[in-house]
Amino acid sequence: MPERTVHTTDVLIIGGGIAAAFAALKARDAGASVLLADKSFFGRSGCSALASGVYPTYMPGDDEQAWLRSFAGPLVNQPLVMKALPIMYEHLMLMDRCGVKWVKEGERIIRLGGPGRNFDSGALMGEGGPQMMMAVRGEVLRRGVQVLSRIMITDLLTSDGCHPTGGRVVGALGFHSRTGALYVIRAKATIMCTGPYKFPYPKPGSLLGYMPIDLSGDGIAMMLRVGAELSRLELGGINIYPDGLLCAPGLESLMPSGARFVDRDGRRFLEAYDPKRLELTSRALLYFAIATEHSQGRRPAIDLTGLPPERAQLLAQVIPIIIQNYRTAGYDVTHDWIPYTYQVAGTSGIFGAGARITEQGETSVPGLYAAGTCSDMAYLPGGHLPFCSVSGHWAGEQAGAEVPGMAEPSVPEAQVEALAAAALAPLGRADGLSFEAVHEALGQILVEEVGLVMSGTRLERAIGRVSGLLAEQVPRLRARDPHELAKVHALVNYTQILEPILRAYLYRTESRVAFMREDFPDIDNEQWLKMVIVQRRDGALRLWDEPIPSSFHLVPPRRTKSRHLAFRSRDGAG
Amino acid sequence: MARVEVLLPACTGCGVCVETCPTDVLRMRGEGPDAKAIVAYPADCQACFVCQFDCPYEAIRVWARP
Repeated sequence: MPERTVHTTDVLIIGGGIAAAFAALKARDAGASVLLADKSFFGRSGCSALASGVYPTYMPGDDEQAWLRSFAGPLVNQPLVMKALPIMYEHLMLMDRCGVKWVKEGERIIRLGGPGRNFDSGALMGEGGPQMMMAVRGEVLRRGVQVLSRIMITDLLTSDGCHPTGGRVVGALGFHSRTGALYVIRAKATIMCTGPYKFPYPKPGSLLGYMPIDLSGDGIAMMLRVGAELSRLELGGINIYPDGLLCAPGLESLMPSGARFVDRDGRRFLEAYDPKRLELTSRALLYFAIATEHSQGRRPAIDLTGLPPERAQLLAQVIPIIIQNYRTAGYDVTHDWIPYTYQVAGTSGIFGAGARITEQGETSVPGLYAAGTCSDMAYLPGGHLPFCSVSGHWAGEQAGAEVPGMAEPSVPEAQVEALAAAALAPLGRADGLSFEAVHEALGQILVEEVGLVMSGTRLERAIGRVSGLLAEQVPRLRARDPHELAKVHALVNYTQILEPILRAYLYRTESRVAFMREDFPDIDNEQWLKMVIVQRRDGALRLWDEPIPSSFHLVPPRRTKSRHLAFRSRDGAG
Repeated sequence: MARVEVLLPACTGCGVCVETCPTDVLRMRGEGPDAKAIVAYPADCQACFVCQFDCPYEAIRVWARP
């Protein structure tokens, strides 16, 4: 066994995005000692640092009913949205004080509209996501949070030494992705904040996704293994992004700036999907429209040629990563259309999907909390930075309040030994399978059997193929050094959560937003105002559903059945 | 896969890029005044441009395509 470092903390936070940062700050406010472990560099890791330039926030004086209408889907916890609004503003102002360079007119933070909103909400990051998260990092460090970067956490430790546990989570185990040193972290409370899941390390042009390329659902896999209930896995959504690049979509800033989407003939195809709001339709419908146009061979592309020069200049500041991607890929935005493509399902992009949590961030396992997009966000609409920061806030507050009453965590040595040996095993398999071989096989399953529009037959085949990969290939993976070992863990974690994701897809026998089943083409508000829960128990996955609580609905849903937009044209033609 | 290049004459070996690269593409080689950043894991570059933005000496260039 390599060198081992042991840390003890009240609250352990795993992950390094905006949910992790606000969880850390709130737990510190409650007086807890806090350690944050990030597999990348905290401040540069995950989605938050690569954000699309806006923090879509409420400000005092806003029409709260307009906010509610924007987020009043039938599967949304609407009262919780209302409760989150003032906290978003609190976060905006805290970030302003700690040096985030919001775009201002004089002293006033200005906001832009955005997809799905008929009012201005997006506070603009004057130097993009990287500057925002580095300023937030500074505040977290000033407040005395201990930060460990490049620590790949591999497993949660449990009081009874078992996975799944009948006891509580008492910390975590990981390794340094450069030195290979082992880390054991003992914690009274652990908050998982590892972000959304995606196929890790996609190749450009593969339909398998984009940056950040290392978000592989690690936290969700760890929570699955300790027996936490997972939810909303089937409603993770789809993503769209520039074709042939690893670049994020950037639509939160691009659309309200006057960008348009056109097909290969220059037709503004949103006219057929939402003639009133066009590109400012909901994000889900916008993604769906672009994906549909692409899958039907009409080569959708973003058209920025009509942007006034001062707006193009502003975008270069607000979404520097995206504009540099366009530029160095050879596009002249004043002249060229930039083609967009879609990512196949098996990702959580639009909603948070993962641990089922209470409004205070508690999972179903004692001692374990979750926040942001690795959780179901207690049915807040996910995928927006402010809902993630607020979710982190609530989990940090709750964990911080509970630790004074908790016993010192005791970590079972036998469990540490066994999990450490398993975590490092790929380093000893010189003749094992390469990362590339298993990665390629998994990507093929997603493209061939899952795709954009799903079917029960193909999903069952996909589940069979993923199970085969997990049984035969995953245990033989090799790693040449600690850097590659971290990639191997990312790939294993994603493969492990794919099975519950695919089973949840199969379980929900309807279509809804970006979840499309060709064998169940209706949006079914009669039968499916339900959440699907998945849990690993006794070596098997259990799935069940529970009705959406009526307390979620400030705007009562229409309990009717209607054909999903994706299948209406098919009916007309048939 | 994207492309990242360290312009060795301009690199002072300050290590900022090595510290902050989100996907751990860059590492240090050499000691003292000879220390330089090198591209250790080119396949893992995601073209996020963080290293290029952070470098105080304009010693790193990134391209979205290979």
